[in-house]
Amino acid sequence: MNMAFREKSIGISLSGLPEEAALGLSLRAISLIIIVEIIFQGMLAVSNRKAAEHGADERDTLFAYKGNNFGYTVLAIGVFISLGWNVLLEINPAFIAQSNVLKVPLLTAHILLFSFIFSEVVRFSAQLYNYTRCD
Amino acid sequence: MTTLPIKNKIRELRFFAEEMTQKELGELVGITQQTIIAIGKCKYSPTLEVAFRIAEVFGQSIDEVFHYQSA
Repeated sequence: MNMAFREKSIGISLSGLPEEAALGLSLRAISLIIIVEIIFQGMLAVSNRKAAEHGADERDTLFAYKGNNFGYTVLAIGVFISLGWNVLLEINPAFIAQSNVLKVPLLTAHILLFSFIFSEVVRFSAQLYNYTRCD
Repeated sequence: MTTLPIKNKIRELRFFAEEMTQKELGELVGITQQTIIAIGKCKYSPTLEVAFRIAEVFGQSIDEVFHYQSA
C-alpha cells in the first residue's frame, strides 16, 4: 500500500497508545510507549530516509490541523467533566458517599489522564481517516 | 469518497512532459508523491500556491491546468 511517510508515522503512534494505556496507565506503560515510539519511528525514518528528511507538506499539515481539532475537542470535554466533578464535590461533599462506584482514589487525575490518552487516539485516528479518505 | 469540484489535467501534462513521474513532479513542486496522487485523482484540492507551482512546472497558466466543475 502506497502510504505517505506521515501516515505510517501516525499509524505507529496510534497502535502504541491504547494497548499500553490498558496496562494501568502506570509509569512503566508510559516508558514502554516512549521506547516503542523511538524504535518504530526510527525504523520508519531509516527505511524512508528521503521522505523523513522532506518533512510535512501542505496536505500533511492540513490533516494534522484537522486531527488536532478533533483531539482538542475531546480533551476539552474531559477537562470540563473533571472540573464539573470537582465543583459537584465542592457543592455537595456527601455526593461521593452516596455512590460506591465513584469512590475511586484520584478520580480527577484518572479522568484527565483518560481524556488525554483518548484525545490522542482521536487525533491520530482522525488524521489516518483523512489520509485513507484521500487516497 | 466523491471527487472534489476542482479538476485538473495533471495526468495529461505529465504524459506530454516525457512521462514525468508523480515522484519527479512532487520533487519539483515541493510536495510528496502521495499528495500529487491525491491531487491527480481530484481527492485533494491543492492550495493556490501549490497550484501555481504545478502550472509553472509545465509552463502553463493555472487555468490551463485546473478548472472548477460544479456538481
